[in-house]
Amino acid sequence: MVFRRRPTSSVPPEGGSASDGEASKNRADEAFSREALSYVDSLYGTALRLTRRPADAEDLVQDTYLKAFRSAGQFQRGTNLKAWLFTILHNTFRNMRRHDGRSPIDVDSEYVEQAPARAGHDYSPEELLTRATLDADLQEALDALPEAFRQAVWLRDVEELTYAEIAAVLDVPIGTVMSRISRGRRALYERLHKGSADATDAERSSDERTQKADAV
Amino acid sequence: MSKCRELDALFAPYADGDVASGDRASVEAHLERCPPCRTRVAIQRSVRGAIVARRPTLQPGAPEQLRARCAEYSRALPRPSVASRLTSRRWVPLSVAATLLIAIAGAFLFVLNDNVEALAAQMTLDHVTCFQFAPERLRHVDAATAAHDWAEKQGWAIQIPASSSTSDLELLGIRQCTMSSGRVAHVMYKWHGHPLSVFVVPHSVAALHDQQEVIEKFGHEAVVWADRDRTYVLLARARPAELEPVIGYVREHAH
Repeated sequence: MVFRRRPTSSVPPEGGSASDGEASKNRADEAFSREALSYVDSLYGTALRLTRRPADAEDLVQDTYLKAFRSAGQFQRGTNLKAWLFTILHNTFRNMRRHDGRSPIDVDSEYVEQAPARAGHDYSPEELLTRATLDADLQEALDALPEAFRQAVWLRDVEELTYAEIAAVLDVPIGTVMSRISRGRRALYERLHKGSADATDAERSSDERTQKADAV
Repeated sequence: MSKCRELDALFAPYADGDVASGDRASVEAHLERCPPCRTRVAIQRSVRGAIVARRPTLQPGAPEQLRARCAEYSRALPRPSVASRLTSRRWVPLSVAATLLIAIAGAFLFVLNDNVEALAAQMTLDHVTCFQFAPERLRHVDAATAAHDWAEKQGWAIQIPASSSTSDLELLGIRQCTMSSGRVAHVMYKWHGHPLSVFVVPHSVAALHDQQEVIEKFGHEAVVWADRDRTYVLLARARPAELEPVIGYVREHAH
């Protein structure tokens, strides 16, 4: 789109030249913009996980920055700007979803609830996972995770937000965040580990009975 | 076993070292005597470790154009502290004196030998006064109904861009404004909570050659373009780059 701007012949828009106070405010604003823009890769990566389509992810990130700059006055200095941007991103995404007429978040708890039951055997998980896991396997396992669990694990392990920040971003109680991450990671483990270390049947069935009633 | 279930949700924050000391003590006491739960905690660390080690491949990086567009927003938008001042000011009604001043300035500009400039000045005045003096009539309206009523009353058809959630645009109404250029349709919107006008002039205006112009008047941006035999003016108190998405939307839906 080409803009041809005419020289203004009328009153200047917002009070003339910047005073000293305004100059320092401008510097603070610039620092704010610079820091906000440094998270564009993180926001895009997360948006891509949420929308699964590059074009939608770009729209989501653009909307997030538009809103962020527009309402920058509401940001409390000293709090985590990254977490604030993620909150805007997730809110925008939830709104997009609502207008699409799709269900907000599909918490497929049954899938994940089975996970804790299977993990009670005796080996060193640390060793098994880090050496054997391929990038593609991890991507796939993450994509297979129900959305609510994936979001929580992603914000924690990829984006390094604290549990309290994640609770604010996802707008759920912190206990729910803890539970989703614990279960989500366990489900990931199960998926990545499938085949290489099966629990004994006896162990599995006894565990499953006790876990059956365990709701999110 | 019930203790295992009870503590289960804490295994993730415990493994990450992000747990209150009271909770940490209970988890540790339990782990002392429960080998399966020790494995569960180890699994938490293991999965986290695997993800952390693969962050670079999980994060593809934003495309360059996206990075550039977002950076553009920060330059084009009112800066944070300024933005909050603007926000509180936008809905404050102008004093009678200020309105008069704009009216006089508008009349003055009107005699300029440049009808695009004059059009922008006149419309800025109308934009301000319509929103100021008719807010009680402004409420959400349906685009198709409004277009139908307009054609019936005014005798010429108009395509009114509907409310759009993606553009955060809400159609509030349409009224007729009389200007030197004749009858003009004034379509009123709320855009991100603030007034936005689209004027439709049922003929083309000279000096505008199939090109989009941005004219600043009294702190408002008037974006003027011609399409076929009509002239459109989109007006709001925002910067051109900020307006770009909504201009695109209106241009696309105004025919």
